[in-house]
Amino acid sequence: MKNYAILLDATICTGCNSCTYKCIQENRFHAQASQGLFRTVVEIKDEGIRHYRCMICKDPACVEACPEGALTQSEYGSVLYDANACVGCEACVDACPFGVPQYDPMTQKIVRCNMCAHRVKDGGLPACVEVCPSDALCFGEYNAIVALAKKRTIEEHLNLYGLTEAGGCRFITLMKQAPADLGYPNVVQRAQNKPAMDVTLPGMAALAIGGFKTFSNRRARLETEEKEKSTP
Amino acid sequence: MKISRRNFIKTTAGTAGLAAASVFPFRHLKFAHAFGDHPQEERPYRITKKIPQVCARACEANCAYNVVVGVDPVTGLERAITLEGRKKDPVSRGKYCIKGMGFVDSMYDPDRLMVTLRRTNPQKGTDHDPGWVVMDTKKAADEFVDRLKKYKREEILMCSPGDPYTNRLCQSTGITRADQRTECFGTHYYINCLTVTNPPNPYYSSTYTPSHHICGYDYSDSKYELWFGFDSLTKASKAGILNHIVEGRRKGTKRVMLNPVRSTLADCYADEFYSVKPGTDLAIALAMIKTITEEGIYNRQFMSEYTDAPALIDEKTHLHATDNTGKWLGYCTQDRKIKPLDECKTPALEGGPYTVEFKGKKITASPALKKLWEATAGCTAEAAEKLSGMPATAIRRIAREYCAAAPRAFCPALKRDAAGPNYANSWKLRHCINILNMLSGGMDHEGGVLLLHDVTLPWLDDIAPIPRPYPPQPQKPVDGRNEFPVTWNIYKNRDYSAPGHYGMAGFGLYHGTTTKVVFFRNPHRGLYSFIQPQMVEKSLEKMEIVADWNLYLDDLGYWCDYVFAAGHQFESAKLDLRLYYPKWPCLAGGLPVQKSPGDQIGWGTLAKKIGLGLAPEYWTTDGSSNPKHLIKDTRADMAVQKAHAGKDFKDFINKGGVWVDKKPYENWQHIRKIGWNKPNGRLRIYVDEFVQAGYKGVPQWSPRWYGTEGEYRFSTLNTRAPWLMHADPNFVNSAIMKQLTTRNHMDCVWINPDDARELSLTEGEQVVLETNPKYMKELPRPVRARLHLSKRVRKECILLFHGLGHRAKNLRHARDWGYRDGDLIPQKDPKMVKKYDALGMGWVLDNHVRIRKV
Repeated sequence: MKNYAILLDATICTGCNSCTYKCIQENRFHAQASQGLFRTVVEIKDEGIRHYRCMICKDPACVEACPEGALTQSEYGSVLYDANACVGCEACVDACPFGVPQYDPMTQKIVRCNMCAHRVKDGGLPACVEVCPSDALCFGEYNAIVALAKKRTIEEHLNLYGLTEAGGCRFITLMKQAPADLGYPNVVQRAQNKPAMDVTLPGMAALAIGGFKTFSNRRARLETEEKEKSTP
Repeated sequence: MKISRRNFIKTTAGTAGLAAASVFPFRHLKFAHAFGDHPQEERPYRITKKIPQVCARACEANCAYNVVVGVDPVTGLERAITLEGRKKDPVSRGKYCIKGMGFVDSMYDPDRLMVTLRRTNPQKGTDHDPGWVVMDTKKAADEFVDRLKKYKREEILMCSPGDPYTNRLCQSTGITRADQRTECFGTHYYINCLTVTNPPNPYYSSTYTPSHHICGYDYSDSKYELWFGFDSLTKASKAGILNHIVEGRRKGTKRVMLNPVRSTLADCYADEFYSVKPGTDLAIALAMIKTITEEGIYNRQFMSEYTDAPALIDEKTHLHATDNTGKWLGYCTQDRKIKPLDECKTPALEGGPYTVEFKGKKITASPALKKLWEATAGCTAEAAEKLSGMPATAIRRIAREYCAAAPRAFCPALKRDAAGPNYANSWKLRHCINILNMLSGGMDHEGGVLLLHDVTLPWLDDIAPIPRPYPPQPQKPVDGRNEFPVTWNIYKNRDYSAPGHYGMAGFGLYHGTTTKVVFFRNPHRGLYSFIQPQMVEKSLEKMEIVADWNLYLDDLGYWCDYVFAAGHQFESAKLDLRLYYPKWPCLAGGLPVQKSPGDQIGWGTLAKKIGLGLAPEYWTTDGSSNPKHLIKDTRADMAVQKAHAGKDFKDFINKGGVWVDKKPYENWQHIRKIGWNKPNGRLRIYVDEFVQAGYKGVPQWSPRWYGTEGEYRFSTLNTRAPWLMHADPNFVNSAIMKQLTTRNHMDCVWINPDDARELSLTEGEQVVLETNPKYMKELPRPVRARLHLSKRVRKECILLFHGLGHRAKNLRHARDWGYRDGDLIPQKDPKMVKKYDALGMGWVLDNHVRIRKV
């Protein structure tokens, strides 16, 4: 299964909020949006455009923090939310380094993006990407998106946000301004997510296989021992 | 190391246990779903059908899309869910925007008018309960028609944009029609008529161009664009334009933008941006024209062959010199003679005045281009810098770059913008814009201004010819349009759909006329279309009957005796010319998404009812008053047949509902068919009609009609949130759009932080804005609003957001939210306006206010 990412080229986003409204219609959360709770929303600031939305972390703190397992990370990258399992504890709200998930006090549930899993599953584009009138949003395979983002950053002297923040995100933004000028949080930057985990698992597997390999010779060893005992 | 089997198993199990408890999130496995099984991997709704539609009224692009209908998970009922693009449409190319999607949800707005209302309380206004009673719509219409019969035609005013039914209704009954789109589009429409399209012509009528516009712009293939305040925030959401602008950017189009407000379009698409003083871009345009004509860097071939630049202007009459057949004359440099332009291969563009004998008469005349050059003599780049703040060196350089990119260089202009044509002097700016488009040869050229061609929509009169000429129109219309001979002539004699002078209708009604009945066909504009709505409110109190046909009961309804429930724009079929990008002849069609859910009445049905009551002979096929012989509307069938796009409209829709004839664009050839001085039509830089009305034939500098004075020093600028359309409750009464507007501070007035500091004003503070009382002598209504500090706004300016400030009690989200910008606009007395504006369409932004704390 491929894993995906979204690239926002904020240099051509006019702040029309068509992505915002398409998201609402596609995911049917008019009631929450009417209270100002959006899965994605754009603000026009003096310094430029700022999108407020899930950064789709590669190592999502929200998933980690959720005590009920209501949040799961899919194989293709998005974080899926099971409202039935959610108890509204807001642990994910506290855990998110970008301050993205929003708590809806009416339903006691969370409002958050899932990268339009139902569309991606069928080979489609996330709704926000499909509607964008200026094609400022681009969806694709993670490595291809990262390569495109890096290329554009160098060629057009732009800034990147989301590539290394919080261990890397699948929502990457290209912008002219320094991210801090637009109010993007300065979160911990990590080159890779949880390297220890990645080493531990194969290590444990190797030890286990090694152990089983050792003990798989048990019959031969016992026979040898028997022979040695029976040899006068 | 030796280890026993038992110990190995123990160690492995222990390690696994520890891992499970610490590092690996095994606990999630119990909730994990197989791929595709997670609730969020299921589409939240079930699609039942997709219905083709075409956007309308939200902007001029009119994107074609499908309305996706499905089962709503919340109610379990079938309803329109969202939109889906139609890639075959050359305008939208599969894109659409937040406003189109807004229409989907507005069909279900709980405040939508479902029934027709009749007032019982004679006291009018939003502060009084009208005592509405519900009436059967047909009975209400019959009652209304019976009452109308008692009035003379001079006593009735119809407020409506031109459309086939309105036109036939007003013309057949001989009542005045005032057009709500005047201030937005009027200047553009008339300048285009006077310089480019020469109405009537085979393709253009303002009925079928909702923005009253006559062309589209080739953003995709241009090399250079010069935007005079065209980058309003309102354009930030226009999918039909944005997708082309983005393509142009990718291909390397250079864009220069001038505006007192730095918009997000400028952030994204301007290679150069200049913050200019409001109302001074005319000086910049004239300085550029001066540079181009003086240096001779204009497109000589185009100017010689396709414009009146070489046409001689008689020094005595100040009009185009003509032969006795009306053909323009030129001075032929080869044989030094005056000849009709078509017979002259090398007409003089410069030089003169030439004194030559022509058919026994001595004529002293100069080419029109020379007249233009003379008119711009004092308009130096340095003078423009002084007025506007834009550096003179930049003005000259940009003029040169613009010409170097010719003919793929143009200035777009479409409707009201912050710095664009809505000052009393901006009819001259608009004239300059068309002249700049001629100087580059970008007019009627790929990569430039694209003219609609080879496709038309018929009128009701085409399918049902009138039995005898229409009765005359009232000679003194209440909107004072008769004070403006240039526009009056076009409206009366050339294009009946042309914009009227709606902005002055309030002034006319207030100051007492014969009008006793006002009927609004009000597609969600209401009091907001009026300059000085307080004058309208006062005058409507005195009317004997006021009626409105509307989708909502908005502010205006509180002054009405009848409010007829109208259908939603998605509840009717449509056929649209793709005017916004007319590179190819094209038609796009749409079908009703649903039947109107209440007791609504369509405009065509209501118009026929009124027409049959008041002027029956024009509304039946046989000139009788028999309702069985009512005219049948087959215009859509006729249009598709004429274009060979289908056997009839139904067949056209079955074939996909988009027809495009992708033949190559014939550069500069459409001018010949529609221009002035036919048979080989040309564009005009010199307008005789202006001269005949007492103005100059070419644009000259004039300052704004009144300036700053003491505390009244803040120029008002005007825009809208990208997701709102005018004051339309379809959007303004949406809780979601309201959230977006508030979140982006677009319910506030915006001021530069330096100005705020000087006035000791802070972010979020409540302020009062007041117009100089010298220019607001009657019914002043200061505006109270919240302040937002933004560096996007030039100093000494105030940015107002249009469309807010509804007072209709029944609009649950729109009521008492924000402020009404129209309250601040000075009174528009036609006699005063005509001193400054030959067209009478500007005015909205000629305003200076003072700001004080509440």
